[in-house]
Amino acid sequence: MPTVNLWATDGYISTPDGKSIYIWGFTDQEGGSARLPGPTIIVKQEAPITETVVTVNLTNNLKEPVSLLFPGQENVKANGQPVQPQYENDILVSLTNHALPGETITYTFTAASPGTFLYESGTNPFKQLQMGLYGAIIVRPCDYTPHDSQYKTAYGAGTDTEFNREYLLITGEIDPDFHQAVEYGQPYEAYKPRYWTINGRCAGDTMLPDNVPHLPNQPCSSMIMMEPGEKVLIRYAGAGVENHPLHPHGNHTRLVGLDGRLLRNQNGGGTTDLSYKRFTVLTGAGQTYDQIYTWTGLGYNPVTNPIPTTLPNLRNMAIGHLGWTMWSGSPYLGQKGELPPDVVSYNQAGEYHLMLHSHAEPEITNWGAFPGGMMTMIAVYPSGTLAPHQGMLPTEAY
Amino acid sequence: MRVDIRLAATDGWVDTPDGRSHYIFGFVNITGVPENEIFNYRGKAELMAPPLVLQVGDEVYLTLTNVGTPTRPDLDDPHTIHYHGFPNQMAIYDGVPEASVAVPVGRDFVFHYKPLDPGTYMYHCHHEPVEHIQMGMVGPLVVRPRDYDPADPDYKTAYGYGTGTEYDREYFIFLHELDCTIHNLVATVQEPDWTNYKPTYWFINGRSYPDTIASTSACRLRQQPWPALIKAHAGEKVLLRFVNLGFQQHAIELLGAVMKVVGLDAMRPAGLYGEDLFYNKNIIYIAPGQSTDAIFTAPEAEDTYPLTLPLYNRNLIKNTLAGMGPGGMITEVQIFEPGTLPPQTEPNQS
Ligand SMILES: [Cu+2]
Ligand SMILES: [Cu+2]
Repeated sequence: MPTVNLWATDGYISTPDGKSIYIWGFTDQEGGSARLPGPTIIVKQEAPITETVVTVNLTNNLKEPVSLLFPGQENVKANGQPVQPQYENDILVSLTNHALPGETITYTFTAASPGTFLYESGTNPFKQLQMGLYGAIIVRPCDYTPHDSQYKTAYGAGTDTEFNREYLLITGEIDPDFHQAVEYGQPYEAYKPRYWTINGRCAGDTMLPDNVPHLPNQPCSSMIMMEPGEKVLIRYAGAGVENHPLHPHGNHTRLVGLDGRLLRNQNGGGTTDLSYKRFTVLTGAGQTYDQIYTWTGLGYNPVTNPIPTTLPNLRNMAIGHLGWTMWSGSPYLGQKGELPPDVVSYNQAGEYHLMLHSHAEPEITNWGAFPGGMMTMIAVYPSGTLAPHQGMLPTEAY
Repeated sequence: MRVDIRLAATDGWVDTPDGRSHYIFGFVNITGVPENEIFNYRGKAELMAPPLVLQVGDEVYLTLTNVGTPTRPDLDDPHTIHYHGFPNQMAIYDGVPEASVAVPVGRDFVFHYKPLDPGTYMYHCHHEPVEHIQMGMVGPLVVRPRDYDPADPDYKTAYGYGTGTEYDREYFIFLHELDCTIHNLVATVQEPDWTNYKPTYWFINGRSYPDTIASTSACRLRQQPWPALIKAHAGEKVLLRFVNLGFQQHAIELLGAVMKVVGLDAMRPAGLYGEDLFYNKNIIYIAPGQSTDAIFTAPEAEDTYPLTLPLYNRNLIKNTLAGMGPGGMITEVQIFEPGTLPPQTEPNQS
């Protein structure tokens, strides 16, 4: 049975505009720094008749009580007893059993449904969640088999949730004044986010790879990489306290699961499919959305099916006004063209970059300066050019 | 069918019913305007941007001409067209400056689209989108089904014959907000902090109530040519095409008739095997970057026509004008005795 050891502690993250921000968060390394978001827990369900019991040992290295909520999970216990809200003098102090500073508490829960979930602090959550005490849980169906396309699914074979690659995007908000007040033990009143994060990073850091050295406590990329025709499972998890309308360019997504529950009429024998397509998903506080995205393109190529317009001399166009571009210089997938010499191109293989971002557009700034915040790219690589490990999360991780 | 459209990107000024005017960026339709007269459209941006009405199978050539911003000659911003929701879009026609090209002042670019899926979409500039969307470079885009035939009631539909989306009249409910502090800063060459965004005006089709129910030709609304008054005969089916290109969520309530939601983000609510997921609502809750198609049947009046049904924002704070009510996102549905209104020949005609 899976066992996860987490420590609640503090640390710092950085933003692309050069700020260092104090956070609280989780780490799976004893003595490690807090990371944003917390480590992703990935478990695979046991055979159908066996309950999948997950154990999480939480050690509190912060100076106030901390706890863990497991929304959407069943049979949640703390130190062997069903979890209960905690009161002091009849006043609610925690939504669940907590660990005092220096203590370790053992939670167990039954992972009863495949899907995407959050784990987050339930103690003084208005403060602790914003400080960064959150992470995601992926539960895989018991028949999950990464090398067998029929069994590489979000919700089990036969649920129409097959995928080729998968990406987890956890949204959050940061009010730096609030974080600073907590760091210096000062009072705080207003809540006003100035940064919006995906997987703990603001754009353009969202597009950097996993584990870049200068972001040691923000190890997770948000770059979505795929090839044409592939089914990409995109898991949104709204870890913050606000709602974000996330819009991927290039296509709709089909929503196949909400809050870790398959969109199918289970009472009718699972025969009625309730999945639906959207081009903007309002990612709500505490909610998760499992979606399948595909992109096939329009079939243009320079030889047999050229694009129906003549491009102007690119010297007369605005390219790379920020000093850089994700563009290849060519309208065709897999081709490269000439770019202005003073513009840095991050294009690798003539791939297309389709933006994915919050359409509440002040959220795609870093403290008001565009570009930034809750924005990343979907990079569509020419068939056969994308490394097979991209978008491959492990079957289990804890 | 080949469709040629030409839009100019420029700036302009719009009015609110409290007598104030606000600096905007926007688009204006210059299709067919001779080359030597295009200069006259500088400073004539419209709010909302001209609705683009296309049909499945059309070969659309949309030329964007950047004619500059006469109120801010220093600005020199490029612009683009982003057709929001276009399926399988490729980078070159997607209008994202960081991932393809943008159009500098004095230049043209032709975007090509061949729409294959009907529904209600939207378009906007994607250069510094937080600024250019808020400043007003936003408009609705409709794709009619391939079999659309306004003369045959079975084929006058939002999503095609047999999809349960027949209608008699159609109207845009295009939602957008305006933060007058930010618009003033942009007009006076200052940098706003977008994280302080706090709208003071709320628009339907580029107007604030009571301008929403004023006639098309009101002189002070020359650059806001789209009223939001909805007229129909009793018993008619009215299709409302909701688009939100503001930065806030909105909750638009219709009193007196139930709306059947037949489209979300230009898709019929339908399961993977075509399962019918239509539902009924009194309030359309809609986030930035979303669209909703809803059809209601205009109720019969017992005594006298016209019968008025209010349509307004249930986030009531948005039914104000710089803090004073009533204003903002309010309009009216007016229901007339059958046979008294001319038939609608284009969307929003009332
Ligand atoms: Cu966009
Ligand atoms: Cu958009």
